[in-house]
Amino acid sequence: MTDKQVLIKVEGLQKDFGEKKVLQGIDIEIDQGDVVVVIGPSGSGKSTFLRTLNLLEVPTGGRIFFEGVDITDKTVDINLHRRKMGMVFQQFNLFPHMTVLGNMTLSPIKVLKMPKAEAEKKALSLLARVGLADRAESYPGQLSGGQKQRVAIARALCMDPDVLLFDEPTSALDPEMVGEVLDVMKQLAANHTTMVVVTHEMGFAREVGNRVLFMDEGKIAEEGAPTDIFGNPQSDRLKEFLSKVL
Amino acid sequence: MNFVTFEMWLEGVPDWILALPDWLQNFMYQFYQTFIFEQRYMLFLNGLKITAIVTVGALAMGIVLGLIVAIIRTSNDSFVSRKPPFILRIFNAICKIYLTVIRGTPMMVQLLIMGFVIMVPKTETEIIVCAIVTLGINSGAYVAEIARSGLMSIDAGQSEAARSLGLSYFKTMWYVVIPQAIKNILPALGNEMITLLKDTSLVSVIALRDVTKQAQNIVSKTYQAYVPYISLAAIYLAIVMLLTWLLSLLERRLRKSDR
Ligand SMILES: Nc1ncnc2c1ncn2[C@@H]1O[C@H](COP(=O)(O)OP(=O)(O)OP(=O)(O)O)[C@@H](O)[C@H]1O
Ligand SMILES: [Mg+2]
Repeated sequence: MTDKQVLIKVEGLQKDFGEKKVLQGIDIEIDQGDVVVVIGPSGSGKSTFLRTLNLLEVPTGGRIFFEGVDITDKTVDINLHRRKMGMVFQQFNLFPHMTVLGNMTLSPIKVLKMPKAEAEKKALSLLARVGLADRAESYPGQLSGGQKQRVAIARALCMDPDVLLFDEPTSALDPEMVGEVLDVMKQLAANHTTMVVVTHEMGFAREVGNRVLFMDEGKIAEEGAPTDIFGNPQSDRLKEFLSKVL
Repeated sequence: MNFVTFEMWLEGVPDWILALPDWLQNFMYQFYQTFIFEQRYMLFLNGLKITAIVTVGALAMGIVLGLIVAIIRTSNDSFVSRKPPFILRIFNAICKIYLTVIRGTPMMVQLLIMGFVIMVPKTETEIIVCAIVTLGINSGAYVAEIARSGLMSIDAGQSEAARSLGLSYFKTMWYVVIPQAIKNILPALGNEMITLLKDTSLVSVIALRDVTKQAQNIVSKTYQAYVPYISLAAIYLAIVMLLTWLLSLLERRLRKSDR
């Protein structure tokens, strides 16, 4: 193993919504190739933490370095950095007025100025990777939830991101479709894609994650390898949380 | 001479008309006076042309203006936890004043002010421009609220997904939010177009010879109001029904692409 490179560095991250302090000082480094799984009770700030990483939520305090650049600096063009951070949402958020191919090629064509033919070729090969090669011309409304989420992942991959952020990617799915999405994510992890995954799928966390963060009340309450977090939890809050979800 | 008496008209008609009942003869005489004598149907056609130009021009201006105002208002409102930038707050304040003033005063008064105080047009072309600008500014205020509800009807997740792919605010609006919003507001926009068409009848107060003004002119020549005004109503009704039908076709096609 060579030295790991730091991809994201978070320092003293805070986020308030009005009076409500949602993130209360988060410090963490995420290295290239990490699969970081974020768990914690509802309302603990998991989504907010994930969304601050690409500035969908603007932090009230602290700093976020992405590939060495402080993206909380107001003079930074965030659009340049968001290209390199793919995001997958619980509700898929596919664009319903575009075909699957249109969804996937929009940003490569309009933002990266990639020629259309090249963007489509790339999109088709990524679609094949998520097992949906035959759905390129479909509209999102014609797909099942699992298929939508696989398209959403493929859409994010079209930008060649350096990190993928997942916010409960399987929570809106019928149980029989969870597996197909997790399989795609496992395949990504096997290819050393850096991922930050907020999930309630403890099986996935244990099996695929190399680091697990337990968030509680806007802080990282406990952090470690999956075997430690699940096998040897330290804090009472984590023990209590695990006893509920396992 | 711009007038034909009933007796003069009777002399020139074919014999079979003489056999018809009086009231029908009278109606035919009035119809002749309104449409055929001195080729007056041309007055209606010319008037309709002006009505159409003003409607389309004002609608185009209203949509552009309304969309701009709606985008300013929604982006200002999208700052929940922070204050919007200073420039945006200024623009937003201007938009609010615009909406309040335009929606709080009658269209007729707006026309009088534009026509006799602000623009004071002289030539026919200037009057048309004045009418388009006045109705466009008026319509923009209503389109703005329609467009705002359309923009707000699009789930925030749509723009979040677009922004997370690196699209700028404007590209997100242009490629993702606006196309979906337009589909949602098309029925309301269609209604606005119909309202606008009917409102153009007010431009006669700034002496624009639209179809309503032409009907009035004919009445002042013939001293008969019945046929010109009933025909005028029929003309508006026919156009509105045609537009309504076209809109329903369009809506059905859009819904099909939704699946
Ligand atoms: N836009 C917002 N405005 C105000 N409060 C918010 C906003 N977004 C989140 N919050 C609050 O912040 C807290 C943390 O929310 P967050 O969504 O990050 O939690 P979470 O850990 O993702 O929970 P869940 O497991 O239910 O998704 C909650 O109390 C929530 O009500
Ligand atoms: Mg959440």
